[in-house]
Amino acid sequence: MEFCLFLGCNTPAVRPDVEKAIRVSMDELGVDLVDADNYVCCPAFGSFPSTDEDSWLATSGWNLSIAEGKKRDILVQCGSCYSSLRMGREHIMHSDEKRQRVNELLEPTGRTVCGSSRVRHVSEVLYKEITPARIAEKVKISLEGLHGVVQYPCHTLYPSEVVGFEDSPREPKGMRQLVEALGATVDGYSRELQCCGGAGGFMKSTPEQAIEFAKTKFDSILEETKADFIAVSCITCLMHMENVQNTLNKRVGEERYKIPVFDYNQLLALCLGKEQKQVSAICNVSRDKVHQFIANAKVAA
Amino acid sequence: MNPQTEANKDLWKAIYNTGDLQHCFNCSTCISGCPASFGDPPLLVRNLARKVMYGLEEALFEDDTPWACVSCSRCEEMCPMDVKPFEMILHIRQWQASNDETRVPPSIVEIYKRGYTQAVGTNVETRQALGLDPLPIITNNPEQLAMFREMLMKTPVIAANDYMFGG
Repeated sequence: MEFCLFLGCNTPAVRPDVEKAIRVSMDELGVDLVDADNYVCCPAFGSFPSTDEDSWLATSGWNLSIAEGKKRDILVQCGSCYSSLRMGREHIMHSDEKRQRVNELLEPTGRTVCGSSRVRHVSEVLYKEITPARIAEKVKISLEGLHGVVQYPCHTLYPSEVVGFEDSPREPKGMRQLVEALGATVDGYSRELQCCGGAGGFMKSTPEQAIEFAKTKFDSILEETKADFIAVSCITCLMHMENVQNTLNKRVGEERYKIPVFDYNQLLALCLGKEQKQVSAICNVSRDKVHQFIANAKVAA
Repeated sequence: MNPQTEANKDLWKAIYNTGDLQHCFNCSTCISGCPASFGDPPLLVRNLARKVMYGLEEALFEDDTPWACVSCSRCEEMCPMDVKPFEMILHIRQWQASNDETRVPPSIVEIYKRGYTQAVGTNVETRQALGLDPLPIITNNPEQLAMFREMLMKTPVIAANDYMFGG
């Protein structure tokens, strides 16, 4: 299996340990990755998609053309990048007029786009191509004894017609099965499918309400589960779900919200025996308990 | 504003010229579960659809709530009439931004200048410590960056606001 890796901006700039975790875990699972050289912003929905169709689709076309040149599908972790690239491709593919216009804009740059490369989310590739069963066979360290909860990236669920890969977007199973493949028990909770609220303009325009909105999710996790960790598969979910817990603790005046948040590939890389200082080095909510559990399991193994 | 006297009946054609919107029957499914509907003021997607359809141009022009959308696209999934509410929100933003330069998102200036909204590639030491190679980013490739900018210069938002991008 081979892909053109599209990292976006937050992962390489703010959480490069997630990038490292993706690279080493995919390599271990036999997936060959080449970088999307000279890629640009996906574009984020708050940028060109909010100004005009030409700048939006030309930028999507620029990125898609890189993967097409390499005759590979694109692999993405960030939810927004994934959705933006999928939606951009959808527009370009389903309208001859739009495709012609994009190619007209791309032409002086020596690029062209025809839609030959698809856009794949890392959780889809792990779930549907590599499969939880094969992951379970490959892991060297089991999380058996730990409880986890999962956060599905909204951008991989909706609109399912354009971005989806789950059998039912109303009842997704991928993240749960992927975490179970590492040996952990996954607890369900009533707000499992509630958006983290971190993307777009919600936090910027009305932070008070956005924090209250996130609080309902965390209260549901605390009341209904035994979660030792939260597994996500989107860089915005990762950063937001850590930051909000710290903000909430300041409000309530105690360390009530302290569930470590991991990108799934970080947990996977750790269970494959990879170096914690490389694949899980940066966090804003302590991961010590989970790291210690894994270190002890490593010694025992 | 009195919709009977002030309405621009063709507004929907200027903003979201598809038949989809006319299927909206105001059911509010788009609001249920929408994160930004918890905002203050709330993003009420259904109300935006009404403003577009009734042609309430002035009220829609002043409305900040389309920019609070988190882009989760849950409304797009759940809408029973396939109105594609998230696409409508993007089209309202486009209409506002193309008629009011103060609505042009600063992030596009960053993308124009360096390719990204974030300063990708400046965390050299952190990356080295993690055993990561430098990324082949466009910021470090003047020739490709110049071509990217030239392409963008031909698009409406940048052509109309070129002073923001260094002329």
